[in-house]
Amino acid sequence: MRRYLVLMSAFFMLFLAGLSGIASAHESQPGLLEVRQLNTNRYEVIWRAPIYYGKPHPATLQLPEEWQIVGEPTARQLSDSALHRRVVEVPGGSINGSIIRLPGLEATITDVFVRISRLDGSETSQVVRPTLPFVELRGERPWYESSREYLLLGLHHILMGIDHLLFVLGLLIIVSGRSMLIKTITAFTVAHSITLAIATLGYATVPGPPLNAAIALSILFLGPEIVRVWRGQTSFTIRHPWVVAFGFGLLHGFGFASGLSTVGMPTSEIPLALLMFNIGVELGQLVFVVLILQLYRSLKVLEFRWPHWMEFAPGYTIGSLGAYWTIQRTLMMFAIN
Amino acid sequence: MKMIHASILPTLALLVLSPQAALAHLVTSGLGPFYDGALHLAISPDDLLGLVAVTLLAGLCGARAGRLTVFSLSLSWFIAGLVGLNLPVTIDLPWLSILSFLVLGVLVAINPKMHPKVVASLAGLFGLIHGLFNGSALAAIGAGPLALTGIVVTVLVIALLISAFVVSLHAAWTRIAVRVAGSWVAAVGMLMFGWLVRGTG
Amino acid sequence: MKIHFLCRKDVRRMIMTLFVVFLFAPVSAWAHVESGQAGGFFSGLSHPVSGLDHVLAMVAVGLWGAQLGRPAIWLLPVAFPMMMAFGGMLGLMGIPVPGIEIGIAVSGIVLGALILGETKMPMIGALIVVAFFAIFHGHAHGTELEAGQNAMLYSMGFVICTGTLHAIGIGMGLVHRWKFGRLALRGAGSVVMAGGLYFLWGALS
Repeated sequence: MRRYLVLMSAFFMLFLAGLSGIASAHESQPGLLEVRQLNTNRYEVIWRAPIYYGKPHPATLQLPEEWQIVGEPTARQLSDSALHRRVVEVPGGSINGSIIRLPGLEATITDVFVRISRLDGSETSQVVRPTLPFVELRGERPWYESSREYLLLGLHHILMGIDHLLFVLGLLIIVSGRSMLIKTITAFTVAHSITLAIATLGYATVPGPPLNAAIALSILFLGPEIVRVWRGQTSFTIRHPWVVAFGFGLLHGFGFASGLSTVGMPTSEIPLALLMFNIGVELGQLVFVVLILQLYRSLKVLEFRWPHWMEFAPGYTIGSLGAYWTIQRTLMMFAIN
Repeated sequence: MKMIHASILPTLALLVLSPQAALAHLVTSGLGPFYDGALHLAISPDDLLGLVAVTLLAGLCGARAGRLTVFSLSLSWFIAGLVGLNLPVTIDLPWLSILSFLVLGVLVAINPKMHPKVVASLAGLFGLIHGLFNGSALAAIGAGPLALTGIVVTVLVIALLISAFVVSLHAAWTRIAVRVAGSWVAAVGMLMFGWLVRGTG
Repeated sequence: MKIHFLCRKDVRRMIMTLFVVFLFAPVSAWAHVESGQAGGFFSGLSHPVSGLDHVLAMVAVGLWGAQLGRPAIWLLPVAFPMMMAFGGMLGLMGIPVPGIEIGIAVSGIVLGALILGETKMPMIGALIVVAFFAIFHGHAHGTELEAGQNAMLYSMGFVICTGTLHAIGIGMGLVHRWKFGRLALRGAGSVVMAGGLYFLWGALS
């Protein structure tokens, strides 16, 4: 009965082909814009532009015209980003209502965090998205506005995280029966929520390159299991997929955490950000699971038939993509160090 | 009588010429061109209404019609889209686009006995028309095959979901509900024809 | 074909589909608001409800359909939106239909009388009566759009609202199964008729 999943995997291939322009299905790193008050009229502006698929980021920083730059702006190249720093003199001293633009951001998929810290000790944060590539600096924000921003951030992160989606697809192929499905997806959700929280609250960190390689390995792991399912064989994973979902879920949680940068975020806002980001991720995952299950049912209703060899396609596809990413990311890991 | 003539002549002229290309811009989803394409389809009512109508029709005609329609629709949409991407001009014929979903809506409403291959051919024709429009519109705003892929995958998913949904309906009233939906699509089509003639559409 | 009004499996499927639709709806709704044209949809949606004469006639068509039973109960909702849109199209094209206001008021009186008398009619006859009045209603109401709003969204809102009013009429008409319901329906017919007379008086004076 699992043969109908074949066409679904074909969709996914198309989907992957679509994303292949974005190369290695890498985590998209957010940008960071910090505005810090130095004295009454002076502010320090730091723009950390992530490396965008191996090239300098296309977005540039455009400050309000009335801000005068004091001294020489500096630029520093880091391994994963470029750091631009400048000090500005703001007439009147208030930056509220000023608009900072990021021309070029609209052509990318990068979200930018904006953090503002003032002399009175107040700290606020905002998010700029490619759909509206500018930010109007404000003081305090109502909680629901920041909630909405973090929710969308989580949703975007999962929709772009092709490796996470592929892992979930693999789990869906392996599980049989409704109760096992619910158990497995819940285990994955609980596990990645735990590590997302741990990483966001700063109790533990995992460096990016080995993490990405390990996530790729988790996808590679599912390939042979899917083939085993079709051959009618069984294994520990097939009998207890939720255990595997939980174990690798811990790993994927660290991956999600890379989409939520809390550097300089006001401490009081971190719990809300964490909660809403996580809800966004779960929402995106739920949409994906429901969509796949509905497509599966639709294929059954329409009585699609496939040649026998096609039945192995999803397993081999997931396996070989996992293998490709594992090798690629392992190489990247050594190249960087 | 005179008044009727006065309004029919510009109408005909409009139907034949109507070059005012309502230049659609691609909405940015912030998630790259693939999702931009998917989102573009989701918020283009004239593409969407026809897509809904043709897949409802396929569903009413049974599983085989649904199967063939899913293939012919997405394949023709994709091929015509690729052709459209490489055309030097932007093709936008609002009257053809409206006519296509008007006819399909009427067909759903009257629910005639149709051979699955006829339904699939209609769907293919519809896919060709809209794929061509989409492709040339994408070329005009500098979007590429990636956005087209986003559109076609969305078409495929919607076609599968809707036609399978209709096939799985058995109670008589649910099939009537489907036909009512078709008549709504046709009604919107007629009103849109009116707006087009009036020049506001 | 027997009509089952409660088939649990179908209801579940409908609900599941609605759920899927709603999962995706916020995204598109959000995008619409951004392009500033969402107003068209909502003004289209609210327009048919704004005129009592229109509301009365839509509901009356549903009531009468329920009285007539099969096949009218399902043929009328399929045919009606298209005929009304046809009237709207004539209006938009500038093709005049004489005596609109009087026609709308008379439609209330005639439909009310038909319901009051529980008049049975051959299918074709019923369709012609309803189509005749549908054109008046469409002509009068389908054409009012504020500047800057999207005609497509307006039309969609308009059709959805009209169809829903119609469905409400049919839903109310289901009381026709019981004896007291039949009486209540005929009573409702007299209310529609009285409303029609009132609007006719308004149209003539």
